[in-house]
Amino acid sequence: MLPSTLRDQALGYALLAPSLLLLGGLLGWPLIQAVLLSFYDMHPLTRRVIYVGLENYTDIFEDDMFWRAFANNFVWLAGSLFLQIGGGVVVALLLNRTFIGRGIARSLILFPYLMPVLVAALVWRWMLDDIHGIVNYAWIGMGLKRIDWLSTMPNAMVTVIVVGSWRVFPFVVIAVLARLQSIPQQLYEAAEVDGASRWSQFWDVTMPQIANVLSVIVLLRAIWDFREFDLIFLMTGGGPVIGTTTLPLLVYKEAFELFKMGKALAIAVVMMLCMLVLIAAYLRSVRNAPASEEIR
Amino acid sequence: MTEIALKSVQKKFGADVYAVENLDLIIAKGEFLTLLGPSGCGKTTTLRMIAGLETLTSGEIHFNDKRIDQLAPGQRNVAMVFQNYALYPHLNVRGNLEYPLKKRGVPRDQRQTMVAATAKMLQIEELLDRRPRQLSGGQQQRVALGRAMIRDPAVFLFDEPLSNLDAQLRATMRAELVRLHLRLGKTMVYVTHDQLEAMTMSTRIAVMYKGRLQQIDTPAAIYSRPANRFVAGFVGTPTMNFVEGVFSDGASGLEFRSTLLPTIPVPGLSGAKAGMAADVGFRSEHVVLGQGAAQAEVSVIEALGHETLVLLTAGADEIAVRTRPDIALRVGEKVRFDAAIDQLHFFAKTDGNRIGG
Amino acid sequence: MKSLPMRLAGLAATGFTWLLVLAVTFPLLWMLGTAFKRPTELFAKPPTFFPHAPTLQNFVDVLEQTKFTIYATNSLIVATVTTLFVLVVATLGAHAMVSFKLMGRHVVARALLLCYMLPTTAVLIPIYLMIAGLGLANSLSGLIVAYTSLTLPFALWLMRAFFAGIPPEIEAAALIDGASRLRAFVDVVLPQALPGIVTTGVFSFLICWNEYLYSLVMINDDRTRTLPTGIMGTLVNGYAIEWGMVMAAATMMSVPLLLVFLFLQRYVVQGFGAGAVKG
Repeated sequence: MLPSTLRDQALGYALLAPSLLLLGGLLGWPLIQAVLLSFYDMHPLTRRVIYVGLENYTDIFEDDMFWRAFANNFVWLAGSLFLQIGGGVVVALLLNRTFIGRGIARSLILFPYLMPVLVAALVWRWMLDDIHGIVNYAWIGMGLKRIDWLSTMPNAMVTVIVVGSWRVFPFVVIAVLARLQSIPQQLYEAAEVDGASRWSQFWDVTMPQIANVLSVIVLLRAIWDFREFDLIFLMTGGGPVIGTTTLPLLVYKEAFELFKMGKALAIAVVMMLCMLVLIAAYLRSVRNAPASEEIR
Repeated sequence: MTEIALKSVQKKFGADVYAVENLDLIIAKGEFLTLLGPSGCGKTTTLRMIAGLETLTSGEIHFNDKRIDQLAPGQRNVAMVFQNYALYPHLNVRGNLEYPLKKRGVPRDQRQTMVAATAKMLQIEELLDRRPRQLSGGQQQRVALGRAMIRDPAVFLFDEPLSNLDAQLRATMRAELVRLHLRLGKTMVYVTHDQLEAMTMSTRIAVMYKGRLQQIDTPAAIYSRPANRFVAGFVGTPTMNFVEGVFSDGASGLEFRSTLLPTIPVPGLSGAKAGMAADVGFRSEHVVLGQGAAQAEVSVIEALGHETLVLLTAGADEIAVRTRPDIALRVGEKVRFDAAIDQLHFFAKTDGNRIGG
Repeated sequence: MKSLPMRLAGLAATGFTWLLVLAVTFPLLWMLGTAFKRPTELFAKPPTFFPHAPTLQNFVDVLEQTKFTIYATNSLIVATVTTLFVLVVATLGAHAMVSFKLMGRHVVARALLLCYMLPTTAVLIPIYLMIAGLGLANSLSGLIVAYTSLTLPFALWLMRAFFAGIPPEIEAAALIDGASRLRAFVDVVLPQALPGIVTTGVFSFLICWNEYLYSLVMINDDRTRTLPTGIMGTLVNGYAIEWGMVMAAATMMSVPLLLVFLFLQRYVVQGFGAGAVKG
């Protein structure tokens, strides 16, 4: 941090100005508008608005669709968090060992995260094709009954959760791996001298060291997965019927298929409030976990 | 040559945290002045204000009667060596040395001769094409010095430049900096928390504590006549011994009484009067063992080879003593000791200031 | 020396690790395999992993029968322009936030974090209305505006972390050496920030290249569609999906990108979880 003469201050604000203007114009103002317009009805063609007070909100709260989407959203969130964190930690631990081809393995594991969502969704849809898909072929080959992976419930939700977790778990792997690598080897040596088994070394040395980071990762992933639209939409379109319709998909449907902007915005605002809770929890856990700076 | 004058300089961080409080300081032409103090005492902030890296909350800084505290750092004609050297990582040594010249519009061929001369002087010629990260700490230090010297600045500023070096290299660099100062004759301001550096290199030392100037004087005077209890305790290893006591009227005039030491007659000690609480301070080399009325127990003996340090305890008081290496003592033994009466310093309990001359 | 059972356990763990890694990358391999298969082989029982008679027919079909090249060009334009624009803005902004003691910088940082984490769906509708109001619906410029809103908070947040990692003394040294604030920024701060800028660029390009929702909502004209909506609209709608062509299109959309990532892996890994950096 350098001196702050008036000239410097002016220069600083000048450098910051484009960012502030764009953030304000493209996020701040739309956000305010989103909240304001959620109290209005908008005509789909003329875009004329009529103030309706809380009607949009009472509408959504009385709408079973909303509550289904709300519930779906949490099922999706819980399921994919559980899978990706569990899987991510296990894979990180495995990749932290020294073994043949570790460097290549660490690169390969990144692929799902770097694949465009569309590509990921399409490949999986092809693999899960109920007649010609490789998954069903292997499934039947194991002597099991053919399964309709995407067009019945609860299969569709489970499938979407698995694919979603597959796509993002590399993030967890990289973050946990970074933390694992920073654990001083002396801690393990000390534990060994104290006679700890491999198992208790894991629980007494490794887990406490990654616990802080893990809590930050869980919340961060929760914030991001809560708002996931692309993958679910591309896999199932929210179907079968509304089986995998989460809140973001419902917002889209209300706004761009049913042209009920006001109602869609009311849902978006409710969603935003849920996210604020998550964000607050995230900020708190980052403050409690200074080591989380290391996951970069 | 440049004289630096700081006039009522203050620096506040936030609403009421003073990093530097009401500092008046004149750094003479060609002087090697060290700002000495513990971390957080305001010494680095003072240096950064002279450099122009920190603005003043109030006050003025003058170079030879020219006010410079409003100027940008680059317009002050100062050079600075940082604790982490701050070499430009993406430039090689040559590029680092050339950078200040480029900014001053020195033509290319002239730059090359200057780089060559500076590199020769600092014996870093074979390093010119290397990047900073390929250099050792000592080499980086030399390059940083070279970058400071090359443009012949009016003032050199050093911010703890030796603290990242190992002990041996530090000793070498100290000597080298002293030679550099002699040769260049420039005004140099040096910040450190290391009293050894301050004592060995400086023309004068300015001791700072809690944002305030405590004392400014030659190293010898700082050591032998500390202005207050803080300076007395901060300068010197082992730390000065202190014993609490009170002045009182005795038969032959004013006396200083303490539980540990025999009564010390101090007639005519100006500023002292009966009933006043004070600390008496004396250095470890001014204590004689095996004589005197005071008694204490030997608790630690450290043989250093050329001398031996003995730590005595008496109640809550601890007394450090430097003695000859051949002294025969055992831990737990009771010994008599005496402090040389002409080497005592008195500090008032109230404000810590020195009492008497 | 380790005992025999220990070594066997280690070997088993290594085998398991590689099995997992291959399982995780299987979809990618399956995509490549399918893309080079003839329609008859596609439905072969048992399925083949490597195509028996590799063919480029699927790729030719995609390029000849669909507007793939137009979509790809559009995606490239939108992603490149957005990324360059956002990089310039965010580099300046991040530098200002890190090395100038600006009043209210903490508030800005907090607001930024909020922007970064808030759901796209919340601002989707107002931004859509705004862009439509400006007459930019169905245009690439409209998408660039929308994608700027998507990538700028992320870019600023990431870049701020990178700039904070540059020792401030380096800039101070340049100032003392006679550089102005701007000059010092260009001469010594920017070269240090370069890896961070590359990382940020890679990720914002990826975001724009992949984006589906805005493109779906705003573009209703085949000449301005981007890859995700274009491929979805032309190849995946209807009942008889030509999986060979779909996989060929998916390959062309993803493989060049994956190769670039492989090349820039160091930067990509740096960018992971950048959001987890302390605010």
